[in-house]
Amino acid sequence: MWWLMEGVGFIVRLLLLPFSRFNPWLGLLFISLLTSLFLLFVYKKISNQEKIKQTKNQIKAHFLEMRLFQHDYRILLQTQKNLLLANLRYLTLNLKPLLVMIIPLFLLLAQLNLWFGYRNFSPGETFLLKVRLTPSVEVDRAFLDLEAAPGLEVETPVLRIVDENEADWRIKVRQPVEAPLLVIINGEKYWKEIPAGFSSLQKLSPVRAGQNLWLQLLYPGEKPLPDGAYAEKIEITLPEYRLSFLGIRWHWLVAYFLLSIIFALALKRFLKVEI
Amino acid sequence: MLKEKKDEALDRREFLKLLLGTSAGLILSPGQAVLRTKGTRDTGIKVIVLGFDGMDPVITRALMDQGQLPAFRALASAGSFQPLGSSIPPQSPVAWANFITGTNPGGHAIFDFVHRNPENYLPVFSASESIPGRRNLKLGRLLLPLSSGKIRNLRKGRAFWQILEDYDIPATIFKIPSNYPPVKTKQKTLSGMGTPDLKGYYGLFNYYTNEYKAITEEYGGGGRVHDVYVIGNRVEARIPGPNNPFRVGHPETYVDFKVFIDPVNPVAKIVYQNQEFILREKEWSSWKKITFEFIPGQSVTGICLFYLKEIRPKFKLYVSPINIDPEKPALPISTPESYAEELAEKFGPFFTKGLPADTAALENDVLDEKEFLYQDELVYQESMAMLEHELSRFRSGLLFFYFSNTDQRQHMFFRLIDRHHPAYEERLATEFGQVIASTYQQMDRALQLAMDKADKNTVIIVMSDHGFNPFRRGFNLNTWLLQNGYHCLEPGVKPEEVSLFQGTDWSRTRAYGVGLNALYLNLKGREKYGVVRPEEKERLLREIAYKLEQLVDPKTGQKVILKAYLSQDVYHGPYQAEAPDIILGFNRNYRISWSSPLGSFPRELLEDNHQKWSGDHMSAPEVIPGILLANRPVKLPDPKLEDVTAGILSLFGIKIPPDITGRNIF
Repeated sequence: MWWLMEGVGFIVRLLLLPFSRFNPWLGLLFISLLTSLFLLFVYKKISNQEKIKQTKNQIKAHFLEMRLFQHDYRILLQTQKNLLLANLRYLTLNLKPLLVMIIPLFLLLAQLNLWFGYRNFSPGETFLLKVRLTPSVEVDRAFLDLEAAPGLEVETPVLRIVDENEADWRIKVRQPVEAPLLVIINGEKYWKEIPAGFSSLQKLSPVRAGQNLWLQLLYPGEKPLPDGAYAEKIEITLPEYRLSFLGIRWHWLVAYFLLSIIFALALKRFLKVEI
Repeated sequence: MLKEKKDEALDRREFLKLLLGTSAGLILSPGQAVLRTKGTRDTGIKVIVLGFDGMDPVITRALMDQGQLPAFRALASAGSFQPLGSSIPPQSPVAWANFITGTNPGGHAIFDFVHRNPENYLPVFSASESIPGRRNLKLGRLLLPLSSGKIRNLRKGRAFWQILEDYDIPATIFKIPSNYPPVKTKQKTLSGMGTPDLKGYYGLFNYYTNEYKAITEEYGGGGRVHDVYVIGNRVEARIPGPNNPFRVGHPETYVDFKVFIDPVNPVAKIVYQNQEFILREKEWSSWKKITFEFIPGQSVTGICLFYLKEIRPKFKLYVSPINIDPEKPALPISTPESYAEELAEKFGPFFTKGLPADTAALENDVLDEKEFLYQDELVYQESMAMLEHELSRFRSGLLFFYFSNTDQRQHMFFRLIDRHHPAYEERLATEFGQVIASTYQQMDRALQLAMDKADKNTVIIVMSDHGFNPFRRGFNLNTWLLQNGYHCLEPGVKPEEVSLFQGTDWSRTRAYGVGLNALYLNLKGREKYGVVRPEEKERLLREIAYKLEQLVDPKTGQKVILKAYLSQDVYHGPYQAEAPDIILGFNRNYRISWSSPLGSFPRELLEDNHQKWSGDHMSAPEVIPGILLANRPVKLPDPKLEDVTAGILSLFGIKIPPDITGRNIF
């Protein structure tokens, strides 16, 4: 599974590379445009365009019918029933392309979240490092330590939460960090990237997942922890990022969907796609 | 000590709870105009006014002579340094209102921290009034407000920056007291003393502990103690928020939080909403946001500081009063509204509660001296950063900038520079005896900052609203009135059990004391059960005033009250009739007691003040004048607060309006 996520990640990285030194809006605009093109293309290929067109015409006809016979309740009721059926048919026709597109779209969204969902740490900021241990290791009996890269200062001793089998530290960023941080559990070392001090658009991973597939899908930014590792996941509390526009701070997902819809509606005529 | 406090009838913080019972939630207002422009005229001359609350001329002079205040000395030699006459009484809200309006309390209607409602004789807050929305739609337990609430600034008269605005002269007014909510203006203003916390109090901290003496203890407006248990290295508790205007009965909102404690290390993690952070023992957090939800989609956000005082053997966690979040103010704290947001964007969250230092926490041993000073140092550092910011963009007009540290620290540390104070402690004096002097030096650094930015066209004025003196002995005014037959209780009522005049026989009572310096006659036609006929008023007032001025403390042989002012003699203006009838001007070392202002009758007439709140300023104004320094000569002899206002307007060539009684100082 990892090879697939790494492949998607490689493509996204390649696409966003030219935008890494610019405002993140540019990268998002570009990726939204590509997404619209891709989805329109897939939709056109997979869906039954003729039937979709037919169904939409039927829906329009039923609306017209309702206007024409608005004083005849019997016809009106019959038309509403037909309208409902036509709508259901339209949804059914969309189901197949939707099912096909949902998997690549999910993989793409998980990757984009790493690029647009967080901002990196600035010098002076602190964050929490949270290490969830596997059930085979008891947090209050384990040997736990950190090897912090230059530029990082571990501010607190380890905080062990027995209920959660979790070990936490508070870490301060002193200067840009280039090497990963090492978590030592009973002598075994596990690395975690700490993005700090670089202001350009870059991939930021809040979680290094273990063998949990769902976590791997959600956070595909770093190679999963090896099988048999003492840690289930290693997490850092990355600050969330918002894109500013017109005085509003937009969550990237909202902006992405809005842009994709706008592009899709604008391009469907040129690509002769019936949505 | 906490137990003893509970047994008192009501302490000064409890009565504030009564006064400020309306919280942020109940007065959600539709907001102010968003876009306004301040004055734009290039004035040529620029005026910087630094307001150091409570800075005392005697201490200032002594430190200047010792060379500890070089900037003050330089300013004094360039212009002048002299005492500045304070208000009657010299309480901050009254004094700053004198300065703001350029007149006396008869012209601005702020006579004391506390006024009284003549309909029920109960204390009411003098500076602002919260009016909840009147019309609500009730749907089961849900209340949908159909009209918004209001907050009213009760200070009358025009503020001098409003007059400057008439002449298109820009002004920035930073945290001036007696300006909450900020009066309508296009100028940039940020409210100061009088601004409540999110709950509507002057500041209600929360303290979570499993220490035995604090169990079930709860004391009024200053703080609330929460009894918690440490189970499996975990503590669960809740932070109370504003009352919910969308629920019948306006129940208190709250946010649940958890504390996870390491089994061995002195470190804990606090988790609530989407926040989680680790603190070591004896460590403060940075500002943390907290959101109280009323109904889905309707909430208010505040900011607070956490302090993990102790983990073992006892768990002790302090949470500061929840300040209004300047980034999204739930209550009006600035003009334009965007000014607070602009500062928040530049500096992050900052103290918005009127007097930020948590004196109540120190008073109740929740914070010790060092911890209190740490918190107040944050206030100072924040003020300095903002002063520097405002100075860097100050091009024209007037900049007023206020510091509260001098006032708050003198209130709490005077006991440690006064060997005769009942609360003096040698050990603490050794460690903290220099706090007041070092605070004055910090003000010197603020002044130096302003002087460094000033050019030849800049007039710098340094002022304080009053000075300070020790508060060694407290006077029980109502007990005195009772002993002298001016106040009567119902038969069988034990005086020491009375609070808020419950048990007073108003049909036989001729006078009563409410507030910190105020005495009222039970006047027929004014008070609900008034008995003193208007024709008797003059004689009775003079009789009471004379007797009060003769009062001598048997313990010290000193007069307790230097001057009992008749308001009709000392106040002038349209609101003179609303004033208390007599204003007490205490002698040095004396003040009203803790319980008398709340309608209580303790046994002793005079009592030692053993509290940490040990310095004060309720004396006759001639005992504790403020300071006035300027980089140009002050020509007016014996200047007063309102004269500074006239001086500022004159500097800009503005003709003094007739309602301003002050005279030009320059």
